[in-house]
Amino acid sequence: MPTFFNSWLPFLYLYIGGGIFFTAGMIIIRKSKAIDMRLKRDRFWWKVMIFGFFYFALFHAILITAALYL
Amino acid sequence: MEQALNIGTQLDWIVLVIYMMAMLLFGSYFAKYNNDTNDFFFGGRRFTWWLISMSIVATGISSHSFVKYSAMGFKYGFSSSMSYINDWFFVPFFLFGWLPIIVYSRIRSIPEYFERRFSPSARFFVTILQLLYLVGYVGIGFLTMGKAILPLMPEYLTIFGFQIQITLMGLIWVTAVIVGIYITFGGQTAVIFTDLIQGAMLLFAGLFVFFLGVAYVGGWSSFWNLLPPAWKVPFAGFNSPAEFNSVGAFWEDAIAGSVGFLFMNMGLIMRFMATKNVHEGRKAATINILFMLPISAIVVGGGGWVAKAMFEQNATIFPSNMTADQVFVFVSHILAGPGMFGFIIAAIAAALMSTVSGLLNATAAIWVNDVDKPVRIWLKKAKKDDPSDEVRAMKVARISTAAFTILGILAVYAFKSYPTVYQAHAFFHATLTPPLMIAIFFGAFWRKFTPAGLLTTVIGGISLMLLGHRYPQELIGPIAHGTPFDAAHPYTYMAALYNLIVCVVVAVVVTLSQKQLQKISNAIKRNKNNKLIMYSLIATAVAIVLFDLLVVFAKLDLLSLDFTFFLTLLMSGFVALISTHFVKYDPEAQTLGLTIWSVHKAKEWFKGSKLNEREGENVLVHFKVVDGEEDTISFSHKDMKTMEAEVGDLVYISDTRKWLGGLKSCHSVYGEPHNEDGIVYIKNLHLTKGLFVPGQLLEAEKEM
Repeated sequence: MPTFFNSWLPFLYLYIGGGIFFTAGMIIIRKSKAIDMRLKRDRFWWKVMIFGFFYFALFHAILITAALYL
Repeated sequence: MEQALNIGTQLDWIVLVIYMMAMLLFGSYFAKYNNDTNDFFFGGRRFTWWLISMSIVATGISSHSFVKYSAMGFKYGFSSSMSYINDWFFVPFFLFGWLPIIVYSRIRSIPEYFERRFSPSARFFVTILQLLYLVGYVGIGFLTMGKAILPLMPEYLTIFGFQIQITLMGLIWVTAVIVGIYITFGGQTAVIFTDLIQGAMLLFAGLFVFFLGVAYVGGWSSFWNLLPPAWKVPFAGFNSPAEFNSVGAFWEDAIAGSVGFLFMNMGLIMRFMATKNVHEGRKAATINILFMLPISAIVVGGGGWVAKAMFEQNATIFPSNMTADQVFVFVSHILAGPGMFGFIIAAIAAALMSTVSGLLNATAAIWVNDVDKPVRIWLKKAKKDDPSDEVRAMKVARISTAAFTILGILAVYAFKSYPTVYQAHAFFHATLTPPLMIAIFFGAFWRKFTPAGLLTTVIGGISLMLLGHRYPQELIGPIAHGTPFDAAHPYTYMAALYNLIVCVVVAVVVTLSQKQLQKISNAIKRNKNNKLIMYSLIATAVAIVLFDLLVVFAKLDLLSLDFTFFLTLLMSGFVALISTHFVKYDPEAQTLGLTIWSVHKAKEWFKGSKLNEREGENVLVHFKVVDGEEDTISFSHKDMKTMEAEVGDLVYISDTRKWLGGLKSCHSVYGEPHNEDGIVYIKNLHLTKGLFVPGQLLEAEKEM
């Protein structure tokens, strides 16, 4: 039977550890003005990047929930 | 794995041979699209996102992926997909950092970036590392393909009455010749278009085996219920077993692997450079990571998942002596009929060919741009940006592609001596990736990072990494998060964390000590024995590097680990001082346009004038060929206004047939407008470059 050690702990490690790198990247591209939020296209990409992070987190969370309870 | 099992039929071999021949002809057809090295290496920078995205899929899935991930899927379940759905964390750095930097700075290879950002010596070291990395990768690609396909082959093949024995090296030579021919003549365009077919075949074959397997066990519900609960979790155990665990996969794959794949894989970088613009490159990367990689996880691991369900249903269906690595072969053989099995074999061959062809093209690009051209300029046999040198460069590109194909095969002989290909691969990858990765990452995102930091990371970092390989329990053990020590493969994954830490620490300490290093260097310069001091430092550093090599490869325990580690740190300090002393570096000029902090400057340089970022609409036009040599095309006043374009802005025109993916297209500059609405005046050079069809409508898009 799956335990916390092969379900939610790796999930938390991945998204907290990876989240630190991801957030650092988002801050650097804003601070360096590499992404120009005045442009419609760049605003779109900003949203896509945030969406992607939660898309994968949700995807993993659904798979874990299905494995544990279905 | 290295023996023929003869589980295919005559029809399977016919399908395989037809496929190989078709790829050879199809790839070579694209030779006509190669007018210069820009076309040969970057496909003329014209393609759309979906074509590149499919090409990346074909490049990302190698032949060993099917074997390796199906084995993991069979042994551990859905957690085999871990490495395919953990690549999002570095996307902001890539989409708005590395991608625009490499495109707008107009670099033609990663080593060239290092010369501009740091120094010629940095380019020299990075060129060596990149060539070793790529040739080694080509060799490993050939070897894994041979190991994956050989069991499917009969021991002998009879063609026109001649009986030919099938051997691993024989199989590798045949495949290498086919890949070598189409990449030598077809270049990047051939790679991208053959990847389109090969990528589609890979996806279809993997999904076909998975869905057939699900149907075989009685549908989705049966499949789900047959799998043990632990097989359904998408993660391996946190820190065990040693051969497959989540924390190891995080550091080795999500961090080191993702950065390595996105930022330093020259084959992949060249795919992005072949897109028509940065926006299209962003789309290709995003679609690939968001959608294609999760699908690829099913494609490569699905065979193992269904095999586990089939095994739970009826264990006798598989031979009792079947190894995990043979799972994909057996499950495909059980599920697919004659002919279809051959198609699946062809898909595995496709995986190899697309991966290796991209790598060969990248290797040739580095040879032409970073070895042949600089050496000719240095010998004064060529001038920088001399267009007449292009014909020769094309010849060199083709010859070097063929030469690197042969070198790749020769590398197979070296890798064959390792007990498993994964051991060879893991050691080779773990040693070459972290220093390059840190060099690229810090180079592009940290303005203060200096040539001394870079060179010390490469030389000192690698030495410290090698010590970690020699003394894993002492050096990697304390940071291994409790993963078990396996004497045969010590900390295969957690070695990545150690390697990253030593490279980051060396890079940061040296860069932050730059002022002190400069002071010491100045003091040495003022000393009348300055040459003697510097040559002594160089000799000592070389001696310590040689000592480290003896400790690691000859396994000599001449001194205690503490003292050996101290000596290596001392050597790193010497390298930092030597680099600071000899390398000329202008931090202002050499970071401008080459780091994320000044990427707008790079964009202006790319265009050659002030940016026009007004957002207009695309227009549809017919073309008219006019006389002239200048690289400008002219639209009507009205069309220019619709596109919000001005004279001197950059424009991209392409055939309106979207399924061509930008094959018939070209870049140019807006010339003086005219009064014929819906018509674009182009020159013969644009017709040659874009291969436009008379009467066919074109779509024009303002780039910047």
